Amino acid sequence: MDLKWIYWGINVMAIVLVIRCLYREKSLREQFVAAMVLVPLILRAFFIK
Amino acid sequence: MFEKKNRASVYTATAMLVFAVVVAVISGKSYLAMRTPGPGVDRVVPHEGFIKKQLSDYFDGIKGTPADTAVYLQEGSEPGGTVLILGGTHANEPAGVIAAVVMLERAVVRRGRLIIIPFANMMARSHTFPQDAHPQTFSFETTGGNKRTFRYGSRTTNPVYEWPNPDIYIHPASGQTMAGMERSNLNRAHPGVADGGITERLAFGFMQLIKAEKVDLAVDLHEASPEYPVVEAMVAHENAMELAAMVAMELEFEGIPIRLEPSPANLHGLNHREWGDNTDVLALLLETSNPSAGRFRGKTDEALILTGADKAYQKAAGLGRLYVTYEGGNEPIAERVARHVTTVKLLADNLEYVREGKGVVIEGLPGFQELSDQGVGAFLSE
Repeated sequence: MDLKWIYWGINVMAIVLVIRCLYREKSLREQFVAAMVLVPLILRAFFIK
Repeated sequence: MFEKKNRASVYTATAMLVFAVVVAVISGKSYLAMRTPGPGVDRVVPHEGFIKKQLSDYFDGIKGTPADTAVYLQEGSEPGGTVLILGGTHANEPAGVIAAVVMLERAVVRRGRLIIIPFANMMARSHTFPQDAHPQTFSFETTGGNKRTFRYGSRTTNPVYEWPNPDIYIHPASGQTMAGMERSNLNRAHPGVADGGITERLAFGFMQLIKAEKVDLAVDLHEASPEYPVVEAMVAHENAMELAAMVAMELEFEGIPIRLEPSPANLHGLNHREWGDNTDVLALLLETSNPSAGRFRGKTDEALILTGADKAYQKAAGLGRLYVTYEGGNEPIAERVARHVTTVKLLADNLEYVREGKGVVIEGLPGFQELSDQGVGAFLSE
């Protein structure tokens, strides 16, 4: 299997985990940080950046 | 301030998620715009006499991939040698690209053949480096008042086309180890691999072209940071050193200072090293000084690309920290392009002296002073 798709899978898993953290966070600031972390992960998941 | 009020909830989390998606969509649109540039961006108007081919005509392993790139050939009426010019091996070195475009739009070949590839790594043109803040495009105004716009890309292939890179890249032909990202650097991928990564396949395509067209002289146009020692320089494979030395002297006579550097014998993957080792082509790489890619630079915008004027570089020049004079506190792209064009012209002019019967005569190219004074736009087609 192409290594690219293994890394893509890891990336998607990271997105799921970050969203999970986003909903579990009790601090607005930490929620904002989680949202910012999501941006590059989303871009890579769709092979945009 | 957020913690004290502690107002986080499932609703704020949802709002943040929507915010992240909106930011991703907006920035994504901007990134995608580089992959499908607007009308006229990167347009070239080859001079009469050039015929257009594709690199995939020489190696079908890149056919239909984003690596394929246009190859322009012009043959003179008299037989002679063949000169290959590459721009855009590194897409964030604009003078190399623009010098190739100026030659493509101006050159009239009287003897021999001229092959120009203005955008060697198309996959590096579709993105900029994260955190480098480079503008996506830069423009010149032509004599007729039209705008010619080109993309400012990156040093390496877009990771969208080649990902992931290893921690350590092992150069296939030599076994030399390099930083992992060099796998996506066209100028570390030569002589290429027919069934390798997309950048290695692209490099392989160039090698096939050199062999098929029996290229005598190959010149790759680059730029480097003003604080990098190999700048305003010609890097020559040992086979090309005699020719390079002749041209270096002529440049000095014309008041254009130039360094002459031998291509390191044990640094593999570079085009001049691998082309020279694997074929009988005379291979050289040219470097001009590009403050917009340097580490000292401040505000990074189109003006910096075009003028090279930067306060931090002016300070560094005053402290003697640069390998260029940085005269006038700037490094205009017109002068950088003029350097490349003049050097290529002199290399072609002198080719006959090192390869009898293989001379190449190119007319129509602007002179150093002419190009420096009138600017790049004056020598681009409308």
